[in-house]
Amino acid sequence: MKTKPVFYFLGTLLILFVIVPLLRMIFSVSPQEAGRAVMEKELIGSIFLTLRASLWATLIALVLGIPLSFVLARHRFFGKKIIEGLIDVPVVIPHTAAGIALLMVWGRESVFTKITGISIPGTEAAISIGMLFVSLPFLVNSAKEGFKMIDVRYEKTAVSLGASPWKAFTSVSLPMARKSIVSGSIMMWARGISEFGAVVILAYHPMTAPVLIFERFQNFGLDYAAPATVVLILVTLVIFVVLRAVGDKK
Amino acid sequence: MIKLDKVYKSFGDFQIKNLSLEVESGEYFVILGPSGAGKTLLLEMMAGLEVPDSGRIMGLEGKRVGLIYQDYMLFPHLNVFQNIAYGLIIRKEKKQKIKDQVEAVSEQLGIGGLLTREIHTLSGGEKQRAAIARAMVMQPEVYLLDEPTAALDLSTKSQIQRLILELHKKNNPTVIHVTHDFEEALAMGDRIGLLFSGSMVQDDTPERVFNNPVSKKAADFLGYKNVFSGEIKEYRIHINGIHIMTPEEYAEKATIAVRSNDIILSKNKLESSARNYFLGRVVRGIKRTNHVEVIVDIGVWLYVDITYQSYNEMHLQPGTPIWATFKTSSVKVFLH
Repeated sequence: MKTKPVFYFLGTLLILFVIVPLLRMIFSVSPQEAGRAVMEKELIGSIFLTLRASLWATLIALVLGIPLSFVLARHRFFGKKIIEGLIDVPVVIPHTAAGIALLMVWGRESVFTKITGISIPGTEAAISIGMLFVSLPFLVNSAKEGFKMIDVRYEKTAVSLGASPWKAFTSVSLPMARKSIVSGSIMMWARGISEFGAVVILAYHPMTAPVLIFERFQNFGLDYAAPATVVLILVTLVIFVVLRAVGDKK
Repeated sequence: MIKLDKVYKSFGDFQIKNLSLEVESGEYFVILGPSGAGKTLLLEMMAGLEVPDSGRIMGLEGKRVGLIYQDYMLFPHLNVFQNIAYGLIIRKEKKQKIKDQVEAVSEQLGIGGLLTREIHTLSGGEKQRAAIARAMVMQPEVYLLDEPTAALDLSTKSQIQRLILELHKKNNPTVIHVTHDFEEALAMGDRIGLLFSGSMVQDDTPERVFNNPVSKKAADFLGYKNVFSGEIKEYRIHINGIHIMTPEEYAEKATIAVRSNDIILSKNKLESSARNYFLGRVVRGIKRTNHVEVIVDIGVWLYVDITYQSYNEMHLQPGTPIWATFKTSSVKVFLH
Protein backbone atom coordinates (compact mmCIF):
# COMPACT_ATOMS: atom_id res chain seq x y z
CA MET A 1 0.00 0.00 0.00
CA LYS A 2 1.28 3.45 -0.84
CA THR A 3 1.63 5.39 2.37
CA LYS A 4 1.94 8.93 1.02
CA PRO A 5 -1.67 9.50 -0.20
CA VAL A 6 -3.11 7.75 2.86
CA PHE A 7 -1.02 9.86 5.24
CA TYR A 8 -1.92 13.04 3.35
CA PHE A 9 -5.60 12.14 3.55
CA LEU A 10 -5.53 11.33 7.28
CA GLY A 11 -3.51 14.47 8.04
CA THR A 12 -5.93 16.60 6.04
CA LEU A 13 -8.87 15.26 8.06
CA LEU A 14 -7.24 16.42 11.27
CA ILE A 15 -6.39 19.84 9.88
CA LEU A 16 -9.99 20.25 8.69
CA PHE A 17 -11.17 19.32 12.17
CA VAL A 18 -9.26 22.35 13.47
CA ILE A 19 -9.87 24.78 10.65
CA VAL A 20 -13.57 24.25 9.91
CA PRO A 21 -14.94 25.47 13.28
CA LEU A 22 -12.60 28.46 13.19
CA LEU A 23 -13.62 29.46 9.66
CA ARG A 24 -17.28 28.73 10.38
CA MET A 25 -17.01 31.03 13.38
CA ILE A 26 -15.27 33.82 11.47
CA PHE A 27 -17.72 33.75 8.54
CA SER A 28 -20.74 33.66 10.83
CA VAL A 29 -20.03 37.25 11.82
CA SER A 30 -20.52 40.13 9.37
CA PRO A 31 -17.75 42.70 8.96
CA GLN A 32 -20.08 45.31 10.51
CA GLU A 33 -20.63 43.20 13.61
CA ALA A 34 -16.89 42.53 13.91
CA GLY A 35 -16.19 46.25 13.46
CA ARG A 36 -18.62 47.10 16.23
CA ALA A 37 -17.00 44.52 18.50
CA VAL A 38 -13.55 46.02 17.85
CA MET A 39 -14.83 49.43 18.98
CA GLU A 40 -16.25 47.94 22.16
CA LYS A 41 -14.21 49.08 25.15
CA GLU A 42 -15.16 46.18 27.41
CA LEU A 43 -14.03 43.57 24.89
CA ILE A 44 -10.79 45.34 23.92
CA GLY A 45 -10.05 45.94 27.60
CA SER A 46 -10.50 42.26 28.38
CA ILE A 47 -8.30 41.19 25.46
CA PHE A 48 -5.51 43.51 26.60
CA LEU A 49 -5.93 42.27 30.17
CA THR A 50 -5.63 38.67 28.95
CA LEU A 51 -2.52 39.34 26.87
CA ARG A 52 -0.91 41.31 29.70
CA ALA A 53 -1.70 38.82 32.49
CA SER A 54 -0.34 35.96 30.40
CA LEU A 55 2.77 37.99 29.64
CA TRP A 56 3.40 38.49 33.39
CA ALA A 57 2.96 34.76 33.93
CA THR A 58 5.43 34.01 31.13
CA LEU A 59 7.99 36.50 32.50
CA ILE A 60 7.76 34.94 35.98
CA ALA A 61 8.18 31.49 34.44
CA LEU A 62 11.24 32.70 32.51
CA VAL A 63 12.95 33.97 35.67
CA LEU A 64 12.12 30.92 37.79
CA GLY A 65 11.74 28.24 35.13
CA ILE A 66 14.95 28.63 33.14
CA PRO A 67 17.23 27.86 36.09
CA LEU A 68 14.98 24.88 36.88
CA SER A 69 15.01 23.59 33.32
CA PHE A 70 18.81 23.96 33.16
CA VAL A 71 19.22 22.00 36.40
CA LEU A 72 16.86 19.29 35.10
CA ALA A 73 18.73 19.08 31.80
CA ARG A 74 22.25 19.02 33.27
CA HIS A 75 22.17 17.36 36.66
CA ARG A 76 21.26 13.97 38.01
CA PHE A 77 19.90 13.96 41.54
CA PHE A 78 17.62 12.00 43.79
CA GLY A 79 13.96 12.75 43.10
CA LYS A 80 14.57 14.28 39.67
CA LYS A 81 11.93 12.10 38.00
CA ILE A 82 9.38 13.16 40.64
CA ILE A 83 10.07 16.82 39.97
CA GLU A 84 9.77 16.25 36.22
CA GLY A 85 6.45 14.53 36.85
CA LEU A 86 5.26 17.39 39.06
CA ILE A 87 6.01 19.91 36.32
CA ASP A 88 3.59 18.02 34.06
CA VAL A 89 0.82 17.81 36.67
CA PRO A 90 -0.88 21.07 35.57
CA VAL A 91 -1.35 19.58 32.10
CA VAL A 92 -3.18 16.51 33.34
CA ILE A 93 -5.46 17.81 36.10
CA PRO A 94 -8.75 19.56 35.24
CA HIS A 95 -8.10 23.29 35.29
CA THR A 96 -11.11 24.07 37.46
CA ALA A 97 -9.57 21.73 40.04
CA ALA A 98 -6.29 23.62 39.64
CA GLY A 99 -8.19 26.86 40.24
CA ILE A 100 -9.70 25.55 43.46
CA ALA A 101 -6.32 24.29 44.67
CA LEU A 102 -4.81 27.70 43.93
CA LEU A 103 -7.65 29.43 45.74
CA MET A 104 -6.71 27.51 48.89
CA VAL A 105 -3.22 28.98 48.78
CA TRP A 106 -4.00 32.45 47.41
CA GLY A 107 -7.66 32.91 48.51
CA ARG A 108 -9.03 35.41 51.04
CA GLU A 109 -8.88 32.85 53.83
CA SER A 110 -5.36 31.73 52.95
CA VAL A 111 -2.28 31.95 55.14
CA PHE A 112 -0.76 34.28 52.54
CA THR A 113 -3.57 36.82 52.92
CA LYS A 114 -3.61 36.50 56.71
CA ILE A 115 0.12 37.23 56.92
CA THR A 116 0.45 39.91 54.24
CA GLY A 117 -3.01 41.40 54.33
CA ILE A 118 -2.99 41.34 50.54
CA SER A 119 -6.07 39.89 48.88
CA ILE A 120 -5.29 38.27 45.56
CA PRO A 121 -8.60 36.86 44.21
CA GLY A 122 -10.35 39.11 41.73
CA THR A 123 -7.16 40.92 40.69
CA GLU A 124 -4.92 40.85 37.63
CA ALA A 125 -2.35 39.07 39.82
CA ALA A 126 -4.85 36.26 40.43
CA ILE A 127 -5.33 35.86 36.69
CA SER A 128 -1.56 35.64 36.19
CA ILE A 129 -1.25 33.09 38.98
CA GLY A 130 -3.89 30.86 37.35
CA MET A 131 -2.23 31.21 33.96
CA LEU A 132 1.23 30.56 35.39
CA PHE A 133 0.11 27.36 37.09
CA VAL A 134 -1.50 25.78 34.06
CA SER A 135 0.92 26.89 31.38
CA LEU A 136 4.40 26.67 32.94
CA PRO A 137 5.04 23.08 31.70
CA PHE A 138 5.21 24.40 28.14
CA LEU A 139 8.10 26.73 28.93
CA VAL A 140 9.98 24.53 31.40
CA ASN A 141 9.82 21.41 29.22
CA SER A 142 10.75 23.23 26.03
CA ALA A 143 13.70 25.01 27.69
CA LYS A 144 14.82 21.73 29.28
CA GLU A 145 14.86 19.98 25.90
CA GLY A 146 16.75 22.95 24.46
CA PHE A 147 19.46 22.74 27.14
CA LYS A 148 19.64 18.96 26.78
CA MET A 149 20.47 19.32 23.10
CA ILE A 150 23.55 21.42 23.86
CA ASP A 151 26.69 19.33 24.24
CA VAL A 152 28.04 20.02 27.73
CA ARG A 153 31.49 20.37 26.17
CA TYR A 154 30.49 23.82 24.81
CA GLU A 155 30.17 24.97 28.41
CA LYS A 156 33.39 23.20 29.34
CA THR A 157 35.18 24.93 26.48
CA ALA A 158 33.91 28.31 27.71
CA VAL A 159 35.14 27.54 31.24
CA SER A 160 38.52 26.42 29.88
CA LEU A 161 38.76 29.84 28.17
CA GLY A 162 38.35 31.58 31.51
CA ALA A 163 34.57 31.97 31.79
CA SER A 164 32.91 31.45 35.17
CA PRO A 165 30.10 28.86 35.17
CA TRP A 166 27.60 31.76 35.28
CA LYS A 167 29.29 33.47 32.34
CA ALA A 168 29.39 30.16 30.44
CA PHE A 169 25.66 29.83 31.08
CA THR A 170 24.76 33.34 29.97
CA SER A 171 27.15 33.57 27.02
CA VAL A 172 26.91 30.01 25.68
CA SER A 173 24.08 27.84 27.03
CA LEU A 174 21.39 30.51 27.09
CA PRO A 175 21.94 31.85 23.56
CA MET A 176 22.30 28.32 22.20
CA ALA A 177 19.00 27.25 23.78
CA ARG A 178 17.34 30.52 22.74
CA LYS A 179 15.15 28.96 20.06
CA SER A 180 13.64 26.40 22.43
CA ILE A 181 13.17 29.04 25.13
CA VAL A 182 11.48 31.46 22.71
CA SER A 183 9.20 28.80 21.32
CA GLY A 184 8.37 27.54 24.83
CA SER A 185 7.59 31.11 25.90
CA ILE A 186 5.29 31.66 22.93
CA MET A 187 3.49 28.40 23.67
CA MET A 188 3.20 29.28 27.32
CA TRP A 189 1.88 32.75 26.60
CA ALA A 190 -0.63 31.29 24.15
CA ARG A 191 -1.75 28.66 26.62
CA GLY A 192 -2.13 31.34 29.28
CA ILE A 193 -4.28 33.49 27.03
CA SER A 194 -6.64 30.62 26.31
CA GLU A 195 -6.96 29.60 29.97
CA PHE A 196 -10.49 29.64 31.35
CA GLY A 197 -10.99 27.03 34.10
CA ALA A 198 -8.35 28.10 36.63
CA VAL A 199 -8.79 31.81 35.91
CA VAL A 200 -12.57 31.88 36.29
CA ILE A 201 -12.29 30.48 39.79
CA LEU A 202 -9.52 32.82 40.93
CA ALA A 203 -10.88 35.94 39.22
CA TYR A 204 -14.29 36.19 37.59
CA HIS A 205 -13.64 39.92 37.55
CA PRO A 206 -11.74 41.63 36.03
CA MET A 207 -12.85 39.55 33.07
CA THR A 208 -10.33 38.01 30.74
CA ALA A 209 -11.46 37.50 27.17
CA PRO A 210 -12.33 33.80 27.60
CA VAL A 211 -14.40 34.61 30.72
CA LEU A 212 -16.13 37.49 28.92
CA ILE A 213 -17.02 35.25 25.98
CA PHE A 214 -18.35 32.60 28.35
CA GLU A 215 -20.44 35.17 30.20
CA ARG A 216 -21.93 36.56 27.00
CA PHE A 217 -22.69 33.09 25.71
CA GLN A 218 -24.35 32.07 28.96
CA ASN A 219 -26.40 35.26 29.43
CA PHE A 220 -27.21 36.27 25.86
CA GLY A 221 -26.54 33.27 23.62
CA LEU A 222 -24.37 32.38 20.67
CA ASP A 223 -25.13 35.42 18.47
CA TYR A 224 -23.96 37.84 21.12
CA ALA A 225 -20.81 35.86 21.98
CA ALA A 226 -19.75 35.30 18.36
CA PRO A 227 -18.34 38.75 17.43
CA ALA A 228 -16.18 38.87 20.58
CA THR A 229 -14.97 35.34 19.83
CA VAL A 230 -14.02 36.27 16.27
CA VAL A 231 -12.07 39.32 17.43
CA LEU A 232 -10.21 37.24 20.05
CA ILE A 233 -9.38 34.50 17.53
CA LEU A 234 -8.12 37.00 14.95
CA VAL A 235 -6.02 38.99 17.44
CA THR A 236 -4.34 35.89 18.88
CA LEU A 237 -3.80 34.32 15.44
CA VAL A 238 -2.11 37.44 14.09
CA ILE A 239 0.11 37.76 17.17
CA PHE A 240 1.24 34.14 17.10
CA VAL A 241 1.85 33.99 13.38
CA VAL A 242 4.05 37.10 13.71
CA LEU A 243 5.86 35.77 16.80
CA ARG A 244 6.48 32.38 15.19
CA ALA A 245 7.82 34.02 12.03
CA VAL A 246 10.14 36.31 14.02
CA GLY A 247 11.23 33.47 16.31
CA ASP A 248 12.06 31.14 13.41
CA LYS A 249 13.92 33.81 11.49
CA LYS A 250 16.39 34.68 14.24
CA MET B 1 56.32 19.33 34.96
CA ILE B 2 52.78 17.99 35.09
CA LYS B 3 52.33 15.16 37.54
CA LEU B 4 49.36 12.88 38.13
CA ASP B 5 49.58 10.92 41.33
CA LYS B 6 47.26 7.92 41.72
CA VAL B 7 44.33 9.74 40.14
CA TYR B 8 41.07 7.85 40.59
CA LYS B 9 37.74 8.88 39.11
CA SER B 10 34.53 6.95 38.85
CA PHE B 11 32.11 8.01 36.12
CA GLY B 12 29.02 5.83 35.85
CA ASP B 13 30.24 2.30 35.18
CA PHE B 14 33.66 3.53 34.22
CA GLN B 15 36.77 4.28 36.30
CA ILE B 16 40.14 5.93 35.83
CA LYS B 17 42.16 3.62 38.03
CA ASN B 18 44.89 5.14 40.22
CA LEU B 19 46.63 6.63 37.23
CA SER B 20 50.10 8.10 37.73
CA LEU B 21 51.89 10.03 35.04
CA GLU B 22 54.63 12.64 34.58
CA VAL B 23 54.90 14.94 31.60
CA GLU B 24 57.94 17.22 31.24
CA SER B 25 57.56 20.90 30.34
CA GLY B 26 57.63 21.33 26.59
CA GLU B 27 57.08 17.61 25.99
CA TYR B 28 54.63 16.32 23.37
CA PHE B 29 52.88 13.46 25.16
CA VAL B 30 50.31 11.32 23.38
CA ILE B 31 47.75 9.29 25.27
CA LEU B 32 46.74 6.49 22.94
CA GLY B 33 43.74 4.32 23.58
CA PRO B 34 40.52 2.98 22.12
CA SER B 35 37.13 4.70 22.51
CA GLY B 36 35.86 4.49 26.04
CA ALA B 37 39.35 4.17 27.56
CA GLY B 38 38.83 7.35 29.59
CA LYS B 39 40.98 9.68 27.50
CA THR B 40 38.58 12.63 27.41
CA LEU B 41 37.78 12.33 31.11
CA LEU B 42 41.50 12.37 31.88
CA LEU B 43 41.99 15.55 29.83
CA GLU B 44 38.98 17.21 31.42
CA MET B 45 40.43 16.47 34.86
CA MET B 46 43.72 18.05 33.79
CA ALA B 47 41.78 21.08 32.52
CA GLY B 48 40.12 21.36 35.92
CA LEU B 49 36.67 20.65 34.47
CA GLU B 50 36.26 17.39 36.36
CA VAL B 51 37.54 16.69 39.86
CA PRO B 52 39.28 13.38 40.70
CA ASP B 53 37.62 11.29 43.43
CA SER B 54 41.09 10.72 44.86
CA GLY B 55 44.71 11.33 43.91
CA ARG B 56 46.32 14.59 42.85
CA ILE B 57 47.03 16.49 39.67
CA MET B 58 50.02 18.80 40.10
CA GLY B 59 51.82 21.34 37.97
CA LEU B 60 48.75 22.81 36.29
CA GLU B 61 47.73 25.20 39.05
CA GLY B 62 47.57 28.75 37.71
CA LYS B 63 48.77 27.65 34.28
CA ARG B 64 47.03 28.83 31.12
CA VAL B 65 45.52 25.72 29.56
CA GLY B 66 44.13 25.45 26.02
CA LEU B 67 41.59 22.67 25.54
CA ILE B 68 40.70 21.58 22.01
CA TYR B 69 38.03 18.99 21.30
CA GLN B 70 37.65 16.65 18.35
CA ASP B 71 34.42 18.23 17.17
CA TYR B 72 35.72 21.77 17.61
CA MET B 73 33.01 23.02 19.99
CA LEU B 74 32.92 26.35 18.21
CA PHE B 75 30.01 28.38 19.57
CA PRO B 76 27.45 28.28 16.74
CA HIS B 77 25.79 31.56 17.74
CA LEU B 78 29.06 33.49 17.34
CA ASN B 79 31.04 34.10 14.14
CA VAL B 80 34.69 33.09 13.68
CA PHE B 81 36.08 36.36 15.08
CA GLN B 82 33.79 36.26 18.11
CA ASN B 83 34.73 32.64 18.76
CA ILE B 84 38.46 33.33 18.65
CA ALA B 85 38.02 36.48 20.74
CA TYR B 86 35.83 34.74 23.35
CA GLY B 87 38.54 34.18 25.98
CA LEU B 88 40.03 37.64 25.49
CA ILE B 89 36.59 39.23 25.95
CA ILE B 90 36.10 37.20 29.13
CA ARG B 91 39.50 38.45 30.26
CA LYS B 92 38.20 42.00 29.55
CA GLU B 93 41.05 42.91 27.20
CA LYS B 94 40.83 46.22 25.31
CA LYS B 95 38.95 46.10 22.00
CA GLN B 96 41.96 47.09 19.91
CA LYS B 97 44.16 44.49 21.57
CA ILE B 98 41.52 41.80 20.99
CA LYS B 99 41.27 42.77 17.33
CA ASP B 100 45.06 42.78 16.86
CA GLN B 101 45.59 39.43 18.59
CA VAL B 102 42.71 37.66 16.85
CA GLU B 103 43.92 38.92 13.48
CA ALA B 104 47.51 37.91 14.17
CA VAL B 105 46.62 34.37 15.27
CA SER B 106 44.11 33.80 12.50
CA GLU B 107 46.65 34.99 9.90
CA GLN B 108 49.18 32.57 11.33
CA LEU B 109 46.68 29.71 11.03
CA GLY B 110 45.57 30.66 7.54
CA ILE B 111 42.01 31.67 8.43
CA GLY B 112 42.51 35.46 8.30
CA GLY B 113 39.93 35.73 5.54
CA LEU B 114 37.24 33.84 7.45
CA LEU B 115 36.78 36.08 10.49
CA THR B 116 33.33 37.36 9.58
CA ARG B 117 32.03 33.92 8.54
CA GLU B 118 29.38 32.01 10.46
CA ILE B 119 30.56 28.71 11.93
CA HIS B 120 28.18 26.51 9.93
CA THR B 121 29.69 27.76 6.66
CA LEU B 122 33.21 26.46 7.49
CA SER B 123 34.76 23.17 6.37
CA GLY B 124 36.02 20.68 8.97
CA GLY B 125 39.64 21.81 8.56
CA GLU B 126 38.67 25.49 8.86
CA LYS B 127 36.66 24.74 11.97
CA GLN B 128 39.59 22.97 13.61
CA ARG B 129 41.91 25.86 12.70
CA ALA B 130 39.41 28.27 14.28
CA ALA B 131 39.25 26.10 17.40
CA ILE B 132 43.06 26.01 17.60
CA ALA B 133 43.13 29.80 17.10
CA ARG B 134 40.62 30.27 19.92
CA ALA B 135 42.87 28.34 22.30
CA MET B 136 46.12 29.77 20.91
CA VAL B 137 45.11 33.42 21.27
CA MET B 138 45.10 32.85 25.04
CA GLN B 139 48.81 31.87 24.79
CA PRO B 140 48.43 28.65 26.77
CA GLU B 141 51.43 27.04 28.42
CA VAL B 142 49.73 23.64 28.14
CA TYR B 143 47.60 22.36 25.26
CA LEU B 144 45.14 19.56 25.92
CA LEU B 145 44.09 18.09 22.58
CA ASP B 146 41.17 15.67 22.53
CA GLU B 147 41.32 13.73 19.24
CA PRO B 148 41.96 16.94 17.31
CA THR B 149 41.98 15.30 13.87
CA ALA B 150 39.46 12.48 14.34
CA ALA B 151 36.65 14.26 12.51
CA LEU B 152 38.76 15.30 9.52
CA ASP B 153 39.33 13.75 6.08
CA LEU B 154 42.73 12.27 5.34
CA SER B 155 44.43 15.24 3.66
CA THR B 156 43.03 17.81 6.10
CA LYS B 157 44.10 15.52 8.92
CA SER B 158 47.76 15.59 7.89
CA GLN B 159 47.57 19.39 7.38
CA ILE B 160 46.29 19.86 10.93
CA GLN B 161 48.88 17.41 12.28
CA ARG B 162 51.67 19.41 10.60
CA LEU B 163 50.17 22.65 11.89
CA ILE B 164 50.09 21.39 15.48
CA LEU B 165 53.67 20.10 15.22
CA GLU B 166 54.84 23.47 13.82
CA LEU B 167 53.13 25.32 16.66
CA HIS B 168 54.74 22.98 19.17
CA LYS B 169 58.16 23.47 17.62
CA LYS B 170 57.78 27.25 17.49
CA ASN B 171 56.36 28.00 20.94
CA ASN B 172 57.32 24.79 22.74
CA PRO B 173 54.27 24.45 24.99
CA THR B 174 53.58 21.21 26.82
CA VAL B 175 51.11 19.22 24.73
CA ILE B 176 48.97 16.36 25.95
CA HIS B 177 47.24 14.88 22.95
CA VAL B 178 44.77 12.02 23.20
CA THR B 179 43.96 9.89 20.20
CA HIS B 180 42.80 6.42 19.19
CA ASP B 181 44.88 6.62 16.00
CA PHE B 182 48.20 4.82 16.50
CA GLU B 183 49.69 6.25 13.30
CA GLU B 184 48.98 9.76 14.60
CA ALA B 185 50.50 8.86 17.97
CA LEU B 186 53.61 7.53 16.25
CA ALA B 187 53.90 10.58 14.02
CA MET B 188 53.44 13.19 16.72
CA GLY B 189 54.44 12.03 20.18
CA ASP B 190 57.77 12.43 21.96
CA ARG B 191 56.35 9.81 24.27
CA ILE B 192 53.23 7.65 24.20
CA GLY B 193 51.07 6.43 27.05
CA LEU B 194 48.82 3.51 26.22
CA LEU B 195 45.49 3.81 28.02
CA PHE B 196 43.13 0.83 28.26
CA SER B 197 39.94 0.84 30.37
CA GLY B 198 41.12 3.65 32.62
CA SER B 199 44.63 2.24 33.22
CA MET B 200 47.93 3.35 31.71
CA VAL B 201 49.37 0.00 30.60
CA GLN B 202 52.52 1.32 28.93
CA ASP B 203 54.38 4.64 28.87
CA ASP B 204 57.44 4.84 26.65
CA THR B 205 58.97 6.22 23.45
CA PRO B 206 56.86 5.64 20.33
CA GLU B 207 59.40 3.12 18.99
CA ARG B 208 59.40 1.01 22.14
CA VAL B 209 55.61 1.12 22.50
CA PHE B 210 55.18 -0.08 18.93
CA ASN B 211 57.96 -2.64 18.89
CA ASN B 212 57.24 -4.16 22.27
CA PRO B 213 53.50 -4.31 22.87
CA VAL B 214 52.82 -5.31 26.46
CA SER B 215 49.77 -7.48 25.81
CA LYS B 216 47.68 -9.13 23.14
CA LYS B 217 45.20 -6.29 23.49
CA ALA B 218 47.98 -3.76 22.98
CA ALA B 219 49.28 -5.65 19.93
CA ASP B 220 45.77 -5.77 18.44
CA PHE B 221 45.29 -2.09 19.08
CA LEU B 222 48.72 -1.10 17.74
CA GLY B 223 47.84 -2.59 14.39
CA TYR B 224 49.52 -5.99 14.67
CA LYS B 225 47.48 -7.98 12.20
CA ASN B 226 49.05 -11.40 12.86
CA VAL B 227 47.98 -12.32 16.37
CA PHE B 228 47.60 -16.02 17.23
CA SER B 229 47.04 -18.01 20.42
CA GLY B 230 48.25 -21.53 21.22
CA GLU B 231 50.57 -23.69 23.34
CA ILE B 232 54.34 -23.25 23.24
CA LYS B 233 56.56 -26.36 23.43
CA GLU B 234 60.29 -26.35 22.78
CA TYR B 235 60.33 -22.81 21.33
CA ARG B 236 57.43 -23.55 18.98
CA ILE B 237 53.84 -22.38 19.17
CA HIS B 238 51.40 -24.79 17.59
CA ILE B 239 48.51 -23.20 15.71
CA ASN B 240 46.16 -24.96 13.36
CA GLY B 241 48.65 -27.62 12.21
CA ILE B 242 51.62 -25.28 11.75
CA HIS B 243 54.28 -24.28 14.23
CA ILE B 244 56.01 -20.93 14.54
CA MET B 245 59.40 -20.55 16.24
CA THR B 246 59.24 -18.24 19.27
CA PRO B 247 61.82 -16.75 21.63
CA GLU B 248 59.90 -18.42 24.51
CA GLU B 249 60.65 -22.06 25.42
CA TYR B 250 57.46 -23.26 27.08
CA ALA B 251 53.98 -21.97 27.94
CA GLU B 252 50.67 -23.73 28.25
CA LYS B 253 48.84 -20.77 26.84
CA ALA B 254 50.37 -17.87 24.95
CA THR B 255 49.57 -15.37 22.26
CA ILE B 256 52.05 -14.26 19.65
CA ALA B 257 52.04 -11.19 17.44
CA VAL B 258 54.01 -10.52 14.27
CA ARG B 259 53.98 -7.17 12.51
CA SER B 260 52.85 -7.34 8.92
CA ASN B 261 55.93 -5.48 7.68
CA ASP B 262 58.32 -7.87 9.47
CA ILE B 263 57.37 -10.66 7.04
CA ILE B 264 59.17 -11.14 3.71
CA LEU B 265 57.41 -12.67 0.72
CA SER B 266 59.45 -14.52 -1.93
CA LYS B 267 58.78 -16.76 -4.91
CA ASN B 268 61.57 -19.16 -3.79
CA LYS B 269 62.60 -20.35 -0.36
CA LEU B 270 65.11 -17.93 1.17
CA GLU B 271 68.42 -19.23 2.50
CA SER B 272 68.69 -16.96 5.56
CA SER B 273 69.05 -16.83 9.32
CA ALA B 274 65.26 -16.47 9.70
CA ARG B 275 63.82 -19.58 11.38
CA ASN B 276 60.19 -19.16 10.31
CA TYR B 277 59.50 -19.95 6.66
CA PHE B 278 56.24 -21.25 5.25
CA LEU B 279 55.03 -22.10 1.78
CA GLY B 280 51.52 -20.78 1.25
CA ARG B 281 49.21 -19.34 -1.37
CA VAL B 282 48.11 -15.77 -1.95
CA VAL B 283 44.47 -15.32 -0.92
CA ARG B 284 44.21 -11.75 -2.17
CA GLY B 285 45.91 -8.34 -2.15
CA ILE B 286 44.11 -5.42 -0.50
CA LYS B 287 45.22 -2.06 -1.89
CA ARG B 288 45.89 0.51 0.83
CA THR B 289 47.02 4.15 0.53
CA ASN B 290 50.77 3.47 0.70
CA HIS B 291 51.09 -0.29 0.43
CA VAL B 292 49.38 -3.53 -0.52
CA GLU B 293 48.22 -5.83 2.26
CA VAL B 294 48.69 -9.36 0.95
CA ILE B 295 46.84 -12.19 2.68
CA VAL B 296 48.79 -15.48 2.51
CA ASP B 297 47.26 -18.78 3.58
CA ILE B 298 49.91 -20.92 5.32
CA GLY B 299 47.37 -22.92 7.33
CA VAL B 300 46.48 -19.70 9.10
CA TRP B 301 46.08 -16.38 7.33
CA LEU B 302 49.15 -14.15 7.47
CA TYR B 303 48.81 -10.45 6.69
CA VAL B 304 51.89 -9.06 4.96
CA ASP B 305 52.43 -5.42 3.94
CA ILE B 306 54.51 -4.90 0.79
CA THR B 307 55.03 -1.96 -1.55
CA TYR B 308 53.06 -1.49 -4.76
CA GLN B 309 56.33 -1.95 -6.67
CA SER B 310 56.96 -5.40 -5.12
CA TYR B 311 53.34 -6.38 -5.57
CA ASN B 312 53.40 -5.57 -9.28
CA GLU B 313 56.85 -7.04 -9.97
CA MET B 314 56.00 -10.34 -8.23
CA HIS B 315 52.75 -10.67 -10.20
CA LEU B 316 50.87 -11.83 -7.11
CA GLN B 317 47.45 -13.23 -7.96
CA PRO B 318 45.02 -15.20 -5.83
CA GLY B 319 46.37 -18.79 -5.75
CA THR B 320 50.00 -17.87 -6.49
CA PRO B 321 52.34 -20.09 -4.40
CA ILE B 322 54.54 -17.92 -2.18
CA TRP B 323 57.08 -18.24 0.65
CA ALA B 324 56.57 -16.17 3.82
CA THR B 325 59.66 -15.69 6.00
CA PHE B 326 60.20 -13.91 9.34
CA LYS B 327 62.72 -13.97 12.17
CA THR B 328 62.04 -15.55 15.51
CA SER B 329 62.98 -12.25 17.16
CA SER B 330 60.10 -10.50 15.39
CA VAL B 331 57.64 -12.83 17.17
CA LYS B 332 56.28 -10.99 20.26
CA VAL B 333 55.03 -13.44 22.88
CA PHE B 334 52.39 -12.69 25.53
CA LEU B 335 52.00 -15.33 28.19
CA HIS B 336 48.52 -15.84 29.59
